[in-house]
Amino acid sequence: MKKISIKQWAVICACTAALTAGAITLRELNKPVVLELGMFVGSNWGVANANSYVIIDKAIERFESEHKNVKVLYDSGIQKVDYSEWFARRVLSGNAPDVFMVLSSDFYQFSSMGIMKNLDGLMQSDESFHKDKFFTTALDSGKYGGTQYALPYEIVPTLMFVNKSLLLSNGIQVPSYDWTWNDFYDICSRLTQDSHQNEAANRFGTLNFNWYDVVTTNGAYLFDADGKQANFTDERVAEAIRFSKQIYDLNHGQKVTQEDFDNGNVAFMPLLFAEYRTYKTYPYKIKKYTSFQWDCITMPSGKNGGNTSSVDSLLIGINSRTRHEKLAWEFLKLLTYDEELQTDIFRYSQGASALRSVTNSIQVEKILQEEMEEGERIISHELLSRVIEEGSVTPRFPNYIEAMALAENEVNKIFESNKNIDQTLKYIQRTVSRFLVN
Amino acid sequence: MRSNKLEYFKIGMLLLNSVAVMLISVFVNVTTEDIRARFYARRFLDGVNAIPPRPAADIVYCGMLLLILVCAFILRKKVFPQNKTLIYISLALDFAISILIVYILDFNYNGILLFVFANVLAHTKDSKIRYSLIMLAVVSFLVTGYEFAAISNRLYSIRDYIAFYAPAIQQYLFGIYNGIISLNIIMFILYCVYEIIGQQGTIDEVNNLYDRLSKANRYLENANEQLRDYAVITEKMGETRERNRLAREIHDTLGHTLTGISAGIDACITTLSISPEETKKQLNIIARVTREGIADVRRSVNELRVDAQENPKLEHNVTKMITDMQAVTDAKIYFTNKAGILKLSEDEENAIYRVIQESVTNAIRHGKAEKIWIELNHNDGHILLVVEDNGIGCKEVKSGFGTKHIRERIEMLGGKVAFGGTENGFKVTGEIPVRWGCSI
Repeated sequence: MKKISIKQWAVICACTAALTAGAITLRELNKPVVLELGMFVGSNWGVANANSYVIIDKAIERFESEHKNVKVLYDSGIQKVDYSEWFARRVLSGNAPDVFMVLSSDFYQFSSMGIMKNLDGLMQSDESFHKDKFFTTALDSGKYGGTQYALPYEIVPTLMFVNKSLLLSNGIQVPSYDWTWNDFYDICSRLTQDSHQNEAANRFGTLNFNWYDVVTTNGAYLFDADGKQANFTDERVAEAIRFSKQIYDLNHGQKVTQEDFDNGNVAFMPLLFAEYRTYKTYPYKIKKYTSFQWDCITMPSGKNGGNTSSVDSLLIGINSRTRHEKLAWEFLKLLTYDEELQTDIFRYSQGASALRSVTNSIQVEKILQEEMEEGERIISHELLSRVIEEGSVTPRFPNYIEAMALAENEVNKIFESNKNIDQTLKYIQRTVSRFLVN
Repeated sequence: MRSNKLEYFKIGMLLLNSVAVMLISVFVNVTTEDIRARFYARRFLDGVNAIPPRPAADIVYCGMLLLILVCAFILRKKVFPQNKTLIYISLALDFAISILIVYILDFNYNGILLFVFANVLAHTKDSKIRYSLIMLAVVSFLVTGYEFAAISNRLYSIRDYIAFYAPAIQQYLFGIYNGIISLNIIMFILYCVYEIIGQQGTIDEVNNLYDRLSKANRYLENANEQLRDYAVITEKMGETRERNRLAREIHDTLGHTLTGISAGIDACITTLSISPEETKKQLNIIARVTREGIADVRRSVNELRVDAQENPKLEHNVTKMITDMQAVTDAKIYFTNKAGILKLSEDEENAIYRVIQESVTNAIRHGKAEKIWIELNHNDGHILLVVEDNGIGCKEVKSGFGTKHIRERIEMLGGKVAFGGTENGFKVTGEIPVRWGCSI
């Protein structure tokens, strides 16, 4: 047999390579572009939601009509509890969706692992995109290490639930939006004092208004954004703990329970905006808090802070390895940045829009008003905007829960065994810092 | 025998590395599937820095790249073992591919580079490239180490995947992983040792060959010298033969012609009184024969060299030339020979004679000289020739036909010549090395 020369070998190899490349390219060109969305069903905030897919389906329909030869797919029926694992499994096998919702508990890990695309470049190069349209708090919740990895799709601030019936029956006016710790303490002490006249108390000031919520209202942060540093020795933290201790002492060690609250015996409780919307409206209205009139106001402000509460957000990001970067960005923009679609958040979901112009619009107030019964005071769009604007972002670093558990354990000792506050805070600072470093 | 052993080492390394690369990529994929099957994915992600982007595809990529490595190895061995260019290209390709494999495996295994370096060592005997390549090898091996690469890059670690299993299995897995890495390094070191031993052998061989080459060279030089001498002798013999031939020809033509003329004249003497017409005819024939003879003689003589050829004694010739010159001009020519009687070869004599003749002619013709001094001296293997006159001279020496000829003649013999002109005359100084260099 004749030996094949080097040149012939080279020609054979080149031809094979060219043919293969050509065939692959041809196949790829004729395929419709498939964009995958990763999402979960139900509410991010644990409230019932029957309309999970309405907004997304509308968005997909619009997107597909605007972009021919593009299909947007999603896996339906993934519950929120399963979503994190579902997504992690997709990530592990290297076929994560192009655009996806990300839970707050996953955001830090996913962005630090490079699973999520750095959006700074896309945001800057897109002239039709102005990040100022987002609430700063909401936008910051999608940042990690100063880089934008996700955009807020829906946000939920925490409000203060007020049992109007309880207050009025005791001759107390519903506080204004600018109320302070002093007002709060005043009302709580009046309620508990009255009730203590008959030995076991049956009326209480507050439930679940935790010391860390109080810290937020005093303008302090327990951790820096990346979870590298703890700030427990901040004087404002000490002030907040001292105030919490005062509130705690009002109950003389008696535990306040959810049952007390449901029976209408507790005046204040922090409540997510999502819960507010769910339980203020039909059909869920009949499920909870039916025996009394209630409303929501801002948090009471501390000496050094404002009427600030934490703002939680549902983020959407882009897969860093997506093959359709431009389309993914367009779709992400449609979901988070489109005013019409964001207005639907108020119609079909329980949160608020992260866009200033939407949340702050009269139309939104009208939508909210439609849900309410006549005669109910609704949250004005000004109040909502203000709460979000002044809100503080819930930290998202991975060891947050463990670090908080460490701190909480010690703070509880302050409440229960009257430990010295400053010394305990110094101890917490030491322990938590050591934990964060490791 | 030795080179066979080296080949086995290389094949062994190729096999080991292929197994290692495939094992790692398959292991990562299998573990990924296991993690997914156990619904452990989210917790697993918490414990790692990064994960491979497409673990299943990585197996295919690694397999394909390894296949190219194997092909390149076979091509080098079977198809173009002699083609340096193609070998270098294929080695560069090997390097690029192994870097790609290291990159795909997120720097968890860089032993494949050692295989490439083994090949590079085998194919680059040129020390200059070799040292820079070794530098490149060391640097790239260090830079692609996991610990080093992980400083500035987010990389997945095979250790995280191993850590997923129960501790008892982990021990085995770590054992296999570290065992492969160590075995590969050991093989590479052994390979280098063999290669170095082999090279020591090559150096000895080269020295041996160099000795033999030097000997052969010396022998060749001697032979060359003998050949040169022989060539000179042959040249002389040739000249003698040629001279004899010409002499013979002159003798033949001149002898023949003269005999013819003598016979013809004898006949004329006899017929003169009887038939003057016949005699006249006969005389015409004799005249023609004579003219032909003259022509023959001229031709033959022309083929000989004039003057010096007739008399190889330079001094005699020069003296004769001076006498002739003085007879036709007013110039006084003084000739001093301080060199004594020189044993010169004919071309040297000829050249010197011509240079003197040319110089004297120039002095008379261009310099209008009244006195000309010629001096011939001998010094240390050189003939020194000075021709000086008291003519009008010249300030600048222009390269004319005469001086050019003089220069050519002297330079042909490997000598030097200088022309110097002043207002009081012209001076030609020549220095000619003499081959047989001694005076008698």
